[in-house]
Amino acid sequence: MKKYSDLEYLKLSKGQKLLYKVKSFFCAIPQKILGLFVALWNLIKNACTLVKNEAVDIWSTFVNGDWKTKVSFLVMGFGNLARGQILRGLLFLLFEVVFIGYMILAGGYWLSMLPTLGTKGPSEEYDFVLDAYYTVYNDNSFKILLYGVLTIFFIIAFVYTWRVNVRQNKLAEQILKSGKKLKSGKDDLRSMVDDKFHSTLLALPLTGITVFTIMPIVFMILVAFTNYDGAHDGYYSNLFTWVGLDNFNTMLNWNVSSGGGSVQSYAATFGEILSWTLMWAFFATFSNYFLGMFVAMAINKKGIKLKKLWRTVLVLTIAIPQFISLLYVSKMFAKNGIVNGFLMSMGWITEALPFWEDPTWARVTVILINIWIGIPHLMLITTGILMNIPQDLYESARIDGANAWQQYSKITLPYMLFVTGPYLLTSFTGNMNNFNVIYLLTGGAPTNPAASSAAGTVGYTDLLITWLFKITQGAESQYYLASVVGILVFVVVALISLVVYNVLPSIKNEEDFQ
Amino acid sequence: MKKFLALMLAAIMAFSMVATAGAASLAGTYDITVWVAENAVDLTKAQIEKYNTTNELGITFNATVEAVSEADAGTQMITDVEAGGDLFCFAQDQFARLVQAGALAKLGVKAGETVAAANVPGAVTAVTSGDTLYAYPLTADNGYFMYYDKTVIPEEHIDSLEAIIADCEAAQKYFAYEMQTSAWYLAGMFFGTGCVSDWTTDDDGTFISVRDTFNSANGLIAAKGIEKLVKSPMHLSSSSGSEFASGAAVVVTGTWDYNTVKGILGDNMGVADLPSFEVDGQSYHIGSFSGYKLMGVKPQVDAVKAAALHQLAQYLTNEACQMERFEALAWGPSNINAQASDLVQANPALVALNAQAPYSTVQGQIHGSWWDIAKVIGDDIKLATDEAGLQAALDNYYAKIDALFQLDTSALLFVGAWNGWNNADDTDTYYLKDNTLTLEVPASDYMGGRIVNPGDWGTDKGFAQVTVGAEYIKDLGADNPDNNIVFAEAGNYTVTLNGTEISIVKN
Amino acid sequence: MSENKLLEQNASTIQKHHMGLKASRAMSNTAIYALLVAISIIWLIPFVCILLQSFRVESTWQVGYVIPQKWGFDNYINLFKTDFPRWYTNTFIAALVTSVLQTIIVLCMSYTLSRFRFKLRKPLMRLMLILGMFPGMLTMIILYRVLKDLGLTQANAVPGLILVYIASSGMGYYVSKGFFDTIPRSLDEAARVDGATRFQVLKKIILPLSKPIVIYTILTAFMGPWGDYVFAQYISFGTSSGMNVAVGLYRWLNKDQIAQCYTMFCAGGVLVAIPVTVLFMCLQKYYVEGVTGGAVKG
Repeated sequence: MKKYSDLEYLKLSKGQKLLYKVKSFFCAIPQKILGLFVALWNLIKNACTLVKNEAVDIWSTFVNGDWKTKVSFLVMGFGNLARGQILRGLLFLLFEVVFIGYMILAGGYWLSMLPTLGTKGPSEEYDFVLDAYYTVYNDNSFKILLYGVLTIFFIIAFVYTWRVNVRQNKLAEQILKSGKKLKSGKDDLRSMVDDKFHSTLLALPLTGITVFTIMPIVFMILVAFTNYDGAHDGYYSNLFTWVGLDNFNTMLNWNVSSGGGSVQSYAATFGEILSWTLMWAFFATFSNYFLGMFVAMAINKKGIKLKKLWRTVLVLTIAIPQFISLLYVSKMFAKNGIVNGFLMSMGWITEALPFWEDPTWARVTVILINIWIGIPHLMLITTGILMNIPQDLYESARIDGANAWQQYSKITLPYMLFVTGPYLLTSFTGNMNNFNVIYLLTGGAPTNPAASSAAGTVGYTDLLITWLFKITQGAESQYYLASVVGILVFVVVALISLVVYNVLPSIKNEEDFQ
Repeated sequence: MKKFLALMLAAIMAFSMVATAGAASLAGTYDITVWVAENAVDLTKAQIEKYNTTNELGITFNATVEAVSEADAGTQMITDVEAGGDLFCFAQDQFARLVQAGALAKLGVKAGETVAAANVPGAVTAVTSGDTLYAYPLTADNGYFMYYDKTVIPEEHIDSLEAIIADCEAAQKYFAYEMQTSAWYLAGMFFGTGCVSDWTTDDDGTFISVRDTFNSANGLIAAKGIEKLVKSPMHLSSSSGSEFASGAAVVVTGTWDYNTVKGILGDNMGVADLPSFEVDGQSYHIGSFSGYKLMGVKPQVDAVKAAALHQLAQYLTNEACQMERFEALAWGPSNINAQASDLVQANPALVALNAQAPYSTVQGQIHGSWWDIAKVIGDDIKLATDEAGLQAALDNYYAKIDALFQLDTSALLFVGAWNGWNNADDTDTYYLKDNTLTLEVPASDYMGGRIVNPGDWGTDKGFAQVTVGAEYIKDLGADNPDNNIVFAEAGNYTVTLNGTEISIVKN
Repeated sequence: MSENKLLEQNASTIQKHHMGLKASRAMSNTAIYALLVAISIIWLIPFVCILLQSFRVESTWQVGYVIPQKWGFDNYINLFKTDFPRWYTNTFIAALVTSVLQTIIVLCMSYTLSRFRFKLRKPLMRLMLILGMFPGMLTMIILYRVLKDLGLTQANAVPGLILVYIASSGMGYYVSKGFFDTIPRSLDEAARVDGATRFQVLKKIILPLSKPIVIYTILTAFMGPWGDYVFAQYISFGTSSGMNVAVGLYRWLNKDQIAQCYTMFCAGGVLVAIPVTVLFMCLQKYYVEGVTGGAVKG
């Protein structure tokens, strides 16, 4: 493909410019994929170098260090204490004591059980005297996995702290050698609100994210490699155990291995739901975006009175929790609901419209109702941005005789798209995982008879996320399968984000706004 | 074996010590949580209070009674057994799941005997898996019948599905019958034409065999009946009594909606057994499920507490408490004596349920996924355009049941035709879980079958060689292309597959 | 300005043009009013219907008409005979505490990511972007077990809920980071030159400028707990005293409850909508301004 210079490019007509852009995007794809691999290779290489450098540094610290440093390799914080940094030293020491104590009391057990996830399930016993059965519970696979993961997190944290401890000894030696003074505990505290202020601010949020987001996600991913389900809950019924890639085979296999040839494979069902999920996310995102912007512009327009009233009316829909409003709306559109009743009493239709019965009707209806939900949010968000567009742009456009549509397409839209690019991306992925709207409106209905139903029924309006939920609630509570679906959802979302991230300029250049 | 031993020992010990030491040792105070339906909370609290004051064992329960609907209790328990109620009430369809999830404690020998003696046989079946009892029957009213608006449906039409549909269409009123969203309601149409779906569980709640004839000539007749209903513009897939307030003239639902419907229709309310539908000139009365609500005891680590809880569960499901529940909430009792009482016999809602009783099928243990698979039939039939489409819906159903059962086993199918090979109505299908199967061969002129690959009815697997127990069968040999196995005499047989060898042993 | 210049050149043309503009503006305004009225009606229908249902006393089940035949407060009175006040209090406490703590955490996070340039900043933001792509549905099971081990489920569900709501709230830093990005950095640099610590910069300079975004964050955080159903249901696990309004009310929609509880359910819904509506009406100005700053700019 011919590459144009900047000057040549500017000379092109509009259509040619667009064509050129599209062409160059697609031509760049192989290069980008190659780039990905190169980046991956570099990452691995860098990681190896890092580990090597660290090891060399640790060794040299040990060999060249004084006795205080050497003791610190075993007793963390010893160097700090010996050199007068009492606060730091005590914190290091405390951390080491807690870690060793934990590992002896509990961590060691969880870690040792992790490879098997437990060996002894519950056993039912019979008490002859009382004529009653009771149960003796033994290993708990769920806890082993959970606390095993936590223990690994803890070990990583310990190794990191130990490394920091070693490095601090080296630094302290250097500082003392150069004749400067070490930081006192008071200095440390002051730096917490000054040059280390960012660490202080991030400490709490990041701890929360680690424990309540990262750890569960790691756990969720691990569940995909086990047979955790209703009949193997790990404690009360049967233990669960590692099954390798079996669940991925089940989910991704296009050919059903069992005898029933006419049953749809999970992969096909997944594909069907995925295509609807993408369709839904596209329509839900853009219909809301443009209509919400339109309503915001209408309310913002000069000369329109009662701006506050219009906004409040729209926001009422946000104020009522969705589980109430959506359930009501869902009932309104039922075959014998008030919408059909109204249309029939007006004589506009003779037979009830199949809002929830027909696949296409149902899909269109959920998208329309989603507009009802989404416009208030979009209205709020875009109102502010619209007000930010410099008014002189419009003034001069008006002078040039631009009509409303031209003003919109030449000024408003480009500005909005530039500013809200990242929002569009997050709302697209958010819509892919929009559990509430689908679950409360249709519950996935109408049913898709062909879809594989061993994990609960699948409907035409089911998104991947509601399907995932149905799998966990289904007759066999197949958490392992739900977990596989969860991982696949992540892969899809990540791929889309990656592409958009590389195409949209406004995400990359966050500094532009400052 | 273990069970036998337990029985023996229990019997011996019962005489020696249970009577004295056992009874005394239950005395104490127990903190427990009880899950019952929202409207039964107050009554249950009162009943437990009464038990505390009247029992002679010195047991005091410090009970927290929580409202958890019978439909949700099963799912809730399975999510986390430990946090679940010590006693909990649930609808029967959850039973097998709960047993598998280790959420139900077995009944002791004596408790089992009491339950079996006091309740109607169907209720006992409902709480039994294999030979083991796992729960206490609470009600026997979990069935459905027809409510109708007398001003729309004339009395003489209530026996005919076609006439009711025509009346509804003429009056622009809805016929609410949950055909597309619930297998529980849908299955009645199949039962009406003589189809069955019998599932068998072992002592641990695992499904070991299934006999399902929905995909048969009779099943096709049922499909045609369903088609009449779901293709009517006035059909509404709902089972809520309040639909009468939103334009319905007929609602098929159960006793729990009696007061609602009465409140809406007043004197115009009619109740009746389900109607009949006509296919090819023959009339079929629509069947139904008759199910039960059950009370379960959560497995306990402490044998004493377990025994005390079982005492309470027995009390709460005994004749007196069931009668109280009937009087306060109109829940139909499962206790034989309570069921026979004049008061129960005269209850209008239960009278309607009883009218449907001759056509109802006792709900046994059914695989949890079956409900999801079967309910799709209604939607599938609605989309069908011709008879082939109806058949395709049934094929689809069959393939899914087959695939489902394959999830648990590598079994082959044993297809039997006990009344003549070409009589499709009586073809029974057995799955050989773990390659063994116990089957009852009734006496008839043709007691034959064959072993085939699942989903592949037509072809023989080629197991002609019966290695053990050949004396019980006649091998038709090479003359017969199907290599049928024909039993020489009626009886109970265990069929085992071992590689390519079959052994058949008469029990 | 430019109009004046043009006026001098050709006054009459402009006059005509201007009048035409006015007329067309009046016309388009009428059209917009019509549209806004239509939209308002459509948007209000479900709300009004729910409101009307809550005052219907002739029956308690769902009906096919909208206007009650008999009006009354029975549903609201009955509501207070159930556990509803408890659920309402639970939710209110959760919403209140969450809104305070979550605001602190979100502000810490977004301020740091907007103002400081440290080594792990980019990787951190990327990590959070990636974490946000995992569907949260499954992690609820794990969180439930963790909270259970901490004793924060069932009757103690409220602190458990609060913990989970705030723990991961740092991930929702986008909107407020966008706002902080719009405050010129020269302001803090000047203060730093004067010897202020970072903390003092935040306290004395940034926070006073951040009123809109603080209120915006409080408002969104306050609204969250009112509608949470799936997770709250896990955590309360069948214990009425630990439920929030969503879980409690949702139970009334069960097959055997709905006919007796439907109008009460609607009344509950109306009461739930009140605090959020009132709060929004009072703070609308800030809400709009808060997002103005750059809600959406990554």
